[in-house]
Amino acid sequence: MRVYDRFEMPPDRAELHRRAVRLEWVTIAFFVVAVSLLAVTLGQSQAMKAAWIEDMLGLVPPVVFLIAARYRNRRPNRRFPYGYHRSVSAAFLAGSVALLGLGGYVVYDSLTRLIARERAPIGLVEVLGFQFWLGWLMVAVLLVTMVPAIVLGRIKQRIARELHDKVLYADAEMNRADWLTAGAAILGVLGIGAGLWWADAVAALVIGGDIVRDGIRTTRSAVGDLMDERPRVVDGSRPHPLPDRLLAAVRDHDWINDAWLRVREEGHVFVGELLVVPRTDTDRLVHRLEELSAFVRDFDWRMHDLVVAPVSRIEHD
Amino acid sequence: MRRLVAVLVALLLLATGCRGWPADAGDTLAHVRDGVLRVGVTENPPWTTVADDGVVAGAEARLVRRLAGRLGARVEWYPGSESTLMAAVKDRVLDLVIGGLDAKAPWTGSASFTRPYVTTRTVVAARPGVAVPDDLDDVRVAVPAGTAEVAALAGEGAVVVPVPEVTGAETIPVVVGEWRVAALGLDESGHDLGGQDHVWAVPPGENGWQVEVERFLLGLSHAEVTRLLVEAERPGAGS
Repeated sequence: MRVYDRFEMPPDRAELHRRAVRLEWVTIAFFVVAVSLLAVTLGQSQAMKAAWIEDMLGLVPPVVFLIAARYRNRRPNRRFPYGYHRSVSAAFLAGSVALLGLGGYVVYDSLTRLIARERAPIGLVEVLGFQFWLGWLMVAVLLVTMVPAIVLGRIKQRIARELHDKVLYADAEMNRADWLTAGAAILGVLGIGAGLWWADAVAALVIGGDIVRDGIRTTRSAVGDLMDERPRVVDGSRPHPLPDRLLAAVRDHDWINDAWLRVREEGHVFVGELLVVPRTDTDRLVHRLEELSAFVRDFDWRMHDLVVAPVSRIEHD
Repeated sequence: MRRLVAVLVALLLLATGCRGWPADAGDTLAHVRDGVLRVGVTENPPWTTVADDGVVAGAEARLVRRLAGRLGARVEWYPGSESTLMAAVKDRVLDLVIGGLDAKAPWTGSASFTRPYVTTRTVVAARPGVAVPDDLDDVRVAVPAGTAEVAALAGEGAVVVPVPEVTGAETIPVVVGEWRVAALGLDESGHDLGGQDHVWAVPPGENGWQVEVERFLLGLSHAEVTRLLVEAERPGAGS
């Protein structure tokens, strides 16, 4: 038996992962362009400062995804005997905290503006000799930045589900947060144009609350993963069905009387321990255990590093 | 979420139906039109001057009267320091603050600045016949005392000669606003000590009013502003 089993995704997943890497580079490029566009339209205003902070936080998930993508497949070694799969979990935590931070900042910013009864001034702008209300330019830029965020977020969410990649999922949530805040800002600008000074802050507050909820959910999920919580599906909404299916398949072997399985998530893959109670008359036990080990590995591409141990009886609680 | 959007859109339609776009968060434009324009003014010749008897003059004062004329408003002047006036304009006690304000002034927390309507440069100039070397090192230059230009000039290595006022009769190079160069019969030397973007301050969030003021200001040509400044510098210039 090979102790260190180098993990590779199946070819179709590996191709999907390469696509995800390309998408993340596109995302980073998009954020850089968006920041420059906003800098041109908003100048060095307070609104620009908020947009900066948002975009810097928006860069965290794609950056940590790309860093983790470099490490996750490295061979286990003496220093990291379990390999580097957990780099993905660490990246997920970083991305989730960034999302939570973004939500917190949006809520804080809009609340302080509401409490201070701050009235946003939006005056005239002159572009190529035409004078018009700056608000229209702001709405146009926000609309333009919204479209890529929506598209990127949707594609990422789909890939994240197939790859069981929670970092990518957190990043898709970040893109959603982005276009929602942009949408809120559009409503806010239009509200200001209509003379409703509070419209901007109220719209941002509602969206900020939504992002905070998202951030809390993903952060809980990331902490849960690091605490070896039972695997959950990528959006954290329910337990992952794979361990139960695997346990049932193991119990189906006619030489196995009973079995017990404990699995945790390490990034994309699941690792853990499988205890089996062989029937007393089982011959070639070691050979069968090795075969079982191979069976478990082949059961699903996510199953990885599962220690199989024979025991005489299992006391279920 | 969807309900919030619907409510906002409905409010927008309601608001646009009965007012201009963009609209004031308050009612500044409405009460200025055919009413009273309350202007805070801080003395900063030649942009603004406040005489002992309270008469306000200067280039920007004339512009304010012109704007008021367009809107059918009567002007009420409230002289004061920038910090007191900005606090008042923040809470819409004043509708406008003028006084040769620089766009970089640190009042953005309380007032909203219009777009800069004119950029004036401060230059080194001299009477015809007075030579100004390319390098100002150790050159005696006359500067209005107590201005930032004293430091700017010292930074260039020149020997600063503070004077109470530049008259154009100096026999050494002088520091003046570029608009005065021609009026004083001087020649520019090519030394530029920096520019100032000039703005007016309006209450923040009164966007309909702000756009009205900006439209007026952006309609002014640089030559027109220069002419007003030169006239305001003339001895005995009134409004």
